[in-house]
Amino acid sequence: MSRPKEMTRAVIVGHKSILKQTIDALHDTNLFHIEDFVEDESGFKIDKPFKNAEDVSKKLVKIRSIANYLGIAEKEPVVQKSDAVLRNLDSKLDELDRGISAKTERIVQLENELKDLDSQRKELLPFLSINLDFDYYRGYENLKVFAGTIKGSLDESQVSSITKAFELYSDPQSKSIVLFTAKGDVDRIYELLQGLGFRELRVPDRGGVPSELLRLIEQKESEISKKIESTKAEIESMKTEYADFILASDEVLSIESQKAELPLRIATSANAFIIDGWTPSDKYDSLVSIVNNATSGKAYISNLEIEEEEEEHVPVEYNNSKVVAPLQQIMDLYSRPKYTEIDPSAAIFITFPLMYGLILGDIGYALILGTLAIAVKKAVKSEAVQPLMDILIYCQISTFIFGIIYGEFLGFPLAGLHGEAGLIPGWETIVLFPGLGGEHVTFPVHRTHMVMTMIAATVTIGLLHLNLGFLLGFANINRHHGFTHALLEKGSWIILEIGAIVAAAGYLGANSMLTNVGAVVFIVGFLMLVKGEGIKGPIELPSLMGNALSYARIIAVGLSSIYIAGTVNDIAFEMIWADHSKIGFVAVAAILVFVLGHALNTVLSIIAPGLHALRLQYVEFFGKFYEGGGIRYNPFGYIRKYTEE
Amino acid sequence: MVDATVSSMILDAAGMRALGAALAITVTGLASAWAEKEIGTAAIGAMAENEGLFGKGLILTVIPETIVIFGLVVALLINSA
Repeated sequence: MSRPKEMTRAVIVGHKSILKQTIDALHDTNLFHIEDFVEDESGFKIDKPFKNAEDVSKKLVKIRSIANYLGIAEKEPVVQKSDAVLRNLDSKLDELDRGISAKTERIVQLENELKDLDSQRKELLPFLSINLDFDYYRGYENLKVFAGTIKGSLDESQVSSITKAFELYSDPQSKSIVLFTAKGDVDRIYELLQGLGFRELRVPDRGGVPSELLRLIEQKESEISKKIESTKAEIESMKTEYADFILASDEVLSIESQKAELPLRIATSANAFIIDGWTPSDKYDSLVSIVNNATSGKAYISNLEIEEEEEEHVPVEYNNSKVVAPLQQIMDLYSRPKYTEIDPSAAIFITFPLMYGLILGDIGYALILGTLAIAVKKAVKSEAVQPLMDILIYCQISTFIFGIIYGEFLGFPLAGLHGEAGLIPGWETIVLFPGLGGEHVTFPVHRTHMVMTMIAATVTIGLLHLNLGFLLGFANINRHHGFTHALLEKGSWIILEIGAIVAAAGYLGANSMLTNVGAVVFIVGFLMLVKGEGIKGPIELPSLMGNALSYARIIAVGLSSIYIAGTVNDIAFEMIWADHSKIGFVAVAAILVFVLGHALNTVLSIIAPGLHALRLQYVEFFGKFYEGGGIRYNPFGYIRKYTEE
Repeated sequence: MVDATVSSMILDAAGMRALGAALAITVTGLASAWAEKEIGTAAIGAMAENEGLFGKGLILTVIPETIVIFGLVVALLINSA
């Protein structure tokens, strides 16, 4: 059980002429959590950002928008010298910017041309099957040309009843017609066409046969598409060429911008500055010497006593071993511990996988999920995913152990019971001693055959877990408010429980002496609780029973997982593939059902036991002692990946 | 006559026990679902404002699950009595 890292409050005071050196030195150490200065009546003001701030943030915006456009993702870092990056930054950034805008403009232009061609093609389509040169449509003195679409169909006979001087082309499919007639009959022909719902089509201005024109357009379209592809490929090659530069310069600029904007967070007067903040106590001396070296001793650093009311605001850095560290993720999901509290990461390092394993307890699922977790951990190097996979691996180790205790493999019992053989021939279940409600405790534990006993066992585990919470709460209060307070507030719960258990034991054993002793202890505990917590204590008393019963979910969720697995096995091997001697289509179907069913249950096996085990930590366990709400220790600095000094 | 045989088949002691267990699970299941629905919607609303509330939202959402666990315990007690 660890406490958060001990912090020291340090104040750095100096003349403004050494502000820049001080900031550079602090940033390099990445050790100092700066308290933002809030302007008050003291006469100190926050300062303006450094002169380069505007320039730096402009470039940063530019580089990030380019990175966004190119879709540059984090990758294996190629470390570059940061001053070299800075020196070439302007010219390279310009070159990149120009290159990309030229290429994007070209793409836009080409895409416009494509759109143009597309509309030309649309104009052509109705005339395609008529296939007359467009030059024939115009330039007549005595002929009128009707080109358009109609709703019905037009017969030559209909036209010939009006005039003999005509030439009709029509396409029944697209309902387009072209009709050449003498000018004299125009009005009557027009009336006829109107009756058929005639709509005039625009005849393209250019000459040429439609099919020929279409071929040309398609040729041009494919040329332009190729050009667009090649320009996109050029952009893609720019992405690979410049990725390192973009990542490195983003990093360098981020660092510059952090430094340049620090004056906004500190107190300054006309000539002096004060930087107030926190550093881990064991690093205080090195911080002092680094700042002194950078400013040749001109900055004045002192550490301040932490007053009790200030302790709430001390930034919190976890202080756990590497093995326990992944569990900090679970702590952060709830709330970071306060500086004054015990950090329960080490406790949930044991209890979370324990509860998970108690629920799932299956060798098969442990192997599948364990392999998956290791594979994901190897494949995905992201800092967000790694700890989660570590937690999953811890959980699977526990699941494997409980899998042996329960004797389960993908829902199949490993050991034989009541004459039915298990998966491992020759392993017979041994009856150890009688359990509750006429059940027998056996090895391996058959959960489905001893539900009542398991409920009692899980509730007992729950009581132990809750009492661990009371003990941690006891330690927290003992440290800050003294032993009496701790005993009254948290110890009273434990005394109450002891009293109740003794009384119950006496009642069951028909020993009235023991019952009376238990009752007295219970009443003493109750009075202590009222003294310690006031009226709130007795009101919360029934919730203790609720909390303990809540651990029955361990067996409940576990049973649901077994039944799903068992049902899948039954469907596959008893219903579908009942005759095990025949191997054929039915066997394949059975295996398919088996694989799909267990894939589903594997997914459920992360969610259900995970959430329930988590809830038992968050609601039941943390409810007994944990407050949370600590501020994250966020030192002024940057963890470089792509550059170095 | 048929009704009488059917009802005597279902409504014997074992049948009533099974029905009682079923009721215990059903009603508490519905109650949990209803309570979690209300909390869940509010939690998602809060998370839309602030991603960091996921942990608290999750805890608050699963609190009523205790109801159905009690139901399950009662059902198992009835069944094994």
